[in-house]
This record gives sequence, structure tokens and C-alpha cells, in this order.
Amino acid sequence: MRNRGNWVFTAGLLVMAAGVAAAVAAQQAARQRDAVGPLPPVEISERARKLHFRSIVVDTHDDTTQRLLSEREYDIAKRDARGHIDIPRMREGGMDAIFFSIYIPATVTGPEAVKRSLRLIDSVYEAVRKNPKDLELAATAADVRRVVRQGRIAALMGMEGGHMIDDDLGALRMYAGLGVRYLTLTHSRKTNWAGSSGETENAGLTPFGKDVVRELNRLGVMVDISHVSDQTFYDALETSAAPMIASHSSCRAICNHARNMTDDMIRALAKKGGVIQITYVDSFLSQELKDAQEAIRDEQRAKTEEAQKACGADDAACRREAARRVREEFSARLPKASWTKIVDHIDHAVKLVGADHVGLGSDFDGATMPEGMEDVTRIPRITDALLQKGYRERDIEKILGGNILRVMEQVERVAQGRQK
Amino acid sequence: MLSPALSRPPGDSVTVSPAARRLHLRAILVDTHDDTPQRFLFEKDFDFGKRNAEGHVDIPRAREGGMDAIFFSIWMPGDYTGPKAVKRSVAMIDSVRQTIRRHPRDLLPATTAAEIRRAAQQGKIAALMGMEGGHMIDDDLGVLRMYAALGVRYLTLTHFKNNNWADSSTDTPRHNGLTAFGKDVVRELNRLGVMVDISHVSDKTFYDALELTKAPVIASHSSCRAISDHPRNMNDDMLGALARNGGVVHINYHVDFLSQEFLNASRAANKDVTSLFAEVEKQCGEDQACQILAGDRLYKQALAAGRVPRVSWEKIVAHMDHVVKVAGVDHVGLGSDFDGANMPDGMDDASFLPRLTEALLARGYKERDIEKILGGNTLRVMEQVERVAREMGRQKVRTPNSEH
Repeated sequence: MRNRGNWVFTAGLLVMAAGVAAAVAAQQAARQRDAVGPLPPVEISERARKLHFRSIVVDTHDDTTQRLLSEREYDIAKRDARGHIDIPRMREGGMDAIFFSIYIPATVTGPEAVKRSLRLIDSVYEAVRKNPKDLELAATAADVRRVVRQGRIAALMGMEGGHMIDDDLGALRMYAGLGVRYLTLTHSRKTNWAGSSGETENAGLTPFGKDVVRELNRLGVMVDISHVSDQTFYDALETSAAPMIASHSSCRAICNHARNMTDDMIRALAKKGGVIQITYVDSFLSQELKDAQEAIRDEQRAKTEEAQKACGADDAACRREAARRVREEFSARLPKASWTKIVDHIDHAVKLVGADHVGLGSDFDGATMPEGMEDVTRIPRITDALLQKGYRERDIEKILGGNILRVMEQVERVAQGRQK
Repeated sequence: MLSPALSRPPGDSVTVSPAARRLHLRAILVDTHDDTPQRFLFEKDFDFGKRNAEGHVDIPRAREGGMDAIFFSIWMPGDYTGPKAVKRSVAMIDSVRQTIRRHPRDLLPATTAAEIRRAAQQGKIAALMGMEGGHMIDDDLGVLRMYAALGVRYLTLTHFKNNNWADSSTDTPRHNGLTAFGKDVVRELNRLGVMVDISHVSDKTFYDALELTKAPVIASHSSCRAISDHPRNMNDDMLGALARNGGVVHINYHVDFLSQEFLNASRAANKDVTSLFAEVEKQCGEDQACQILAGDRLYKQALAAGRVPRVSWEKIVAHMDHVVKVAGVDHVGLGSDFDGANMPDGMDDASFLPRLTEALLARGYKERDIEKILGGNTLRVMEQVERVAREMGRQKVRTPNSEH
């Protein structure tokens, strides 16, 4: 394995709130992980390959946007040894539609958050403009179908965190005007109007938070309840006139992480027509891994602080490198999660609410992937595994993308009814 | 062709000859500078759909005045900078779009010359946006591109103060015109099909922009120094250069810029423009709607007290006439500065616009030349700017990642 050195494209931010520390550490690890060599083609059945490449595969959460904005050398058109997403690998993995995440840390708020949001949206526009043969911006389900039919990848945008609207419906409307098609109500901290699963306080939606949900309905922007507190989930469900999504969450019944959904939540989401988009974040998939991460967390933190003492107070690069070294050392002590866990979570949700309410929200380029899901080229494995489990082809097509397209259409319909 | 809505007679504000009225209503009238968005954003009870006692523009008065297209100005003071300027710009663009949404029978959003013509055919007022001051992009081409995507169709390179990449006509020169980044801004505007607006900029910035641009530029709201020697106005050499570029100067109706006599008196009374602004800001803080209305009140008080001379609306026509003589009839248009400036006597608000058509007829202007001045010239520049953008779009894309 070649050592490509430090790979960081966002300023290191450790959120110390109990439920999110592990996830954040995982993200850090993902972003700093050394390059992997080219992967061999996935071995799947011919039937699975045909089905996978015939289906419209939609991924509702990818953090590649941060690389687009900040990494000088990154070119989405070229196969990259690092990270999880680029055009050649999306083609190889049969990914037809991608929601680029517009994300900045929850600690960046106020007008600065608005400016940085615009720059992230611009970076998606620029990637599309520079790659007209491969990418096209899409804002509706019909756009997605047309773009895919024409042999291109549909580029969509979701905004991961209500803090980016800076408490202003006008800013929200302008993001929608620029093409943002879901808003995750919070990230790992509560906003001024919604509670986050990253905090112990189970806060709900304020009256303004409910206005945000109603405005999202009117605009035809999906309400995304990944990251929010349980109370905010139920409040949003009660307020929303349209089906909602969890853009990247998995099942607490399998891995009891606050970022995942309980069976009751999944049932409530499905009852209103929504979809849970199973995320591949390794520590959300595997209880064993999550427990192991928590067991070493305090020790790792102490060791990191110790290692960083050698750095000057303002030397962020030195501090990051010290943290990376400690993380690498500790990760050797962690169990690995297998990609088959993704299928377990899908299967759990399907058993609970049926095949109409489950989809894919990888968190590629934003998290550590389980073994066997090293990047987007591996996703045909999911199709193969579902076939092997005896899923019907038309149900697999729904999970791969049909369900989220249906929700988009429903959300669009609700918006049309509210335009007047 | 007359649409039913446009054939409505103007109100009682002005009486013009039937010939002038016919021509005025037939022509597509474009006003390239209108500061009403400050009222949209800051004045809670403001209703653009009703006739208002204060201010200069609302739908009834725009209809009476035969306004067919309005460039709503996205503006905040030049010292309001950084990310908060980006946030307020986004909020102000939203306020324009919300206004359009609330008045679907009267307003149609537009970003191209073709869309303006379509709105006129439907008997609606085309609503466009211009951004008055490069400081609002916060030194970021990505932010500029997002404003363009939201519909902004010109960028005034500076306002009253220099920004980090261009000198203003009303500040001490800092960059000797445009910096290297300022030149990138001009090139990006060309590529995006957003008009370069040289109102407010220093003479050197003007010539730098002109040398660089591949498309005609506009002065969205400036008048002539030969008549009123204010740095915000253009001298005859600049007018000639603008004409050679194919651009258009849109005459500003602000009394300071129209009349040397007023300018002298106003300078004597206020020392300079900035002291008036200081007084207004003291009264209003950051409330920009309060600022424009307070400014108007202060002006009217000064008029009533005889501290400043009265300026006739006919001065507007004198400036037009001057540009036509120096640069030709293809290079002049209307950039009122309604709701952002002090209007001369007889141009109290947008409903008085038909007077301009009558006065130009009385001066012997041909009807087709008057149509150019009222809006045809601006539409021509827009089409040229759109064409240049299309041609540049066909070239290889070579933009670096926006953070670098």
C-alpha cells in the first residue's frame, strides 16, 4: 500500500457530543485514509449485473462536494485512487443519480454558512459544466429519468443541515432555486429550530422549525430526517404534508446508534410514504464496531491530546497529523464491519415495512466504508446479494432507486398543489 | 402590437399628446436601475401592488408610466462587506422573487431580452435584477456565478467605495483601476452573460473594463459630466469610448447628476453627498427602506426651505440629447434610480415617464430613435451580451476549482 500522506479536505472538527464522536472520528478516518490500489471487478451473477445496470440507481448522500470545492488535485472526471466517488467509478458501479451533499460543519453558522453553502453549490455546478457528457443537473424525478435515458449521470443536491439557512426562509428559497432538493433539518448539533440526535437533549421543532417544514413542502424540497433527534423526527412527520426521507440512516435494531432509526420510526416514516435510505457508515452498520469504538474513545482522546502537546498552539497541520497517527494506531484494535451488513439493514427495514420504503444513502466520501464496499464500484454487490436472498427483481429496482423517485414525484405533486 | 393591459391610458399624473402616448405605450420601456428591493426587504407593510404615497415605483405607477421592464437593484452600502453581504444579497434577491410570485398577473421574471419581449406581449412588466456593487460577491467568483444563476443580469463593478479589486469614482484610488482579480471578474461576467456595469466606477476602472470586455458594457445609471460635473457622470471621451464598444449609458434622474447648479448648492449645503448619507444613517441604522424614504424627505425639506434650487425633469432630456450628439442615438437609455435618488420636479415618480417621450418628439426625434432610447438599445446590448456568453461557452472550460 502506497502512503499518500495526509489526506484532509475539511478542517478537523471533533464534535464531542456523546452520540456523534464515533461517527465524526470515522469520517476523519475516511478522509485521511491512505490510498487503496485499483480494485478488481466485483464478482456477481450475470442476472444481477443485468438487473443492476438496467435499474436507475440513486444514491441520496455523497460528500464528494467537499473534494470538488477544496481539493486542488481532485478531478471528478478521472479515476482517483483515494475517496469513493468519481465519474469512471460511478460508471463502473452503475450509479445513475447522485445527491451531492451541501455540507459544512454545524459549528459554522451565520452569514458565513450562507456564503460557504453557495460556494459548495457552485462547485457542483462547475463539476457539471466541465463534464457535460457525463453529468447533468437534475431537480425532479422526471429530470433523473431523462438524464439517465440519455446516458448521463443525474447530479442532484441535498443540503445536510438546517444551520445553513441561517434562520432565514429567504435563504432556503434561494437554495431551492439553485436546485437543492432536500434539507436535512439538522447536522450533529441542534439548530435554533430543531433538535439533533448528536445531542443528549431530545429537542423537537420550534414553531419556526415547523414553518421550515411547511416551506419545504411548498417548494418541493424533501424533508430529510437523518441526523435529527427522535422528537424532531416525530414533529416533522406530523407537520409535513409530503412523504419524508432519511437520506442516510440505518436501523437501530441492528446497531443501536442515535443516527439510526428505531423500528417505530421506520414504521411511522413508511406509513406516510417515506423512505429510509440505508447508509454504509461502518459504525452505524455494526454494533460490535460501535461498541469497540466507544470502549477506546476516552483512551484515544487522551492519547491524541498527549500527542498534540508537541505541536504549537496554532499549528493545525501538526495537530491533525498527530490525531491521524493516533487514530491509525487505534483503528488496528477495532473489528471490521462487512459490506453484507448493508444488506442486513436493508432486509430488516424491508421485513418491517415492505420493499416500498427502503433505498440507498451511502455517505460515500463522508464516512469509513465497511470491508467490501471500498468505493462506488462495489455497489452491484448489493443487487447480487438481494437476488440471492430471493428478492424479486421489481422490488430490487425499487430499493436501488424506484422508491426515492416515487417520493420525489409525490413531493413535487404536493408542491404543485401549494404554489398558488 | 398593443396588448390589452398596455393600452390602458396613463393616469392623471401627466397629460401628453395622443401621438406621444401611442408611441410611449407601443415602445418597450426598460429602466435599468430601480432601488425598490430595499423596500421589499426592509419595509414589512410595503405592498408593491398598491399605489403608495411615498417612493417612486409600484405596479400602478409603473403601469401608468408605461414601464415594461425594471431592473431591480440588489444593493447595500459599500462598507457592508464579507459573508454578511452575501447573506443580505441572497435575502434581497429572494425579496424580488417573492414580489414577483405575489403579483403573477403584473410581473414576469425575466433574464434575457427575449423574455422581456415576451412579457411585453403578455402585457406584464418584466422583472430583472442588477447587482449594484462588486463588494457583494465577497471576492469570490463562485458567489458571483450563484447570483447569476439566481437571475442577476448586471454587476456594477463598485458602489461609492473602492472594493478589493476595483476603484470607485467617489473614493481615493487604491488599485489604479481594476486589479488582476477585477479583470477575472469582467471575464467571468462576459462568460456568464451578465452585463458589466460601469456606473460608479473610477475613470481608470472604466477604461480597464472597456479594454478587457468582449461584450458591450452599460452604465446602468449615470449622466453627463458636460452638463453636471459629478464624478458619477461620464465625460464626453468616456461616452465616445462607450459608443465604440457598442454600449449604452442609461441616464440617471438624480438631481445632483442632472444639474450643475443643484450640485453646487448641494455641495455648499452638505459639503458632499456623504454627509447626507451620514444623517440618513443616523436616523435609520441598517434599515435600507427607511434610508431611502428618509433621504427623500430630507431632500424635499431642503427644497421647501429653499436651501437647494429646483431642477426640472427636462434636464433628463437635455442629458439624453447630449449623449445623442456626442455618441449617437444607439447609445442612450433610461436608468432612473427611482427609489434610490432625489427626483427632479415633474418626474415625481414612475407615472411621469411618458413626458420623456413627448419631449423627445417635440425635439424632433424620430419615433424609431425614441423607441431605441426607451428600451431598444438596452435590449440590443442584452442580446449581444447573451451572444458573447454563448460563444465563450463553446470554448474549452478552463476554470480552476473555485477555492484556488
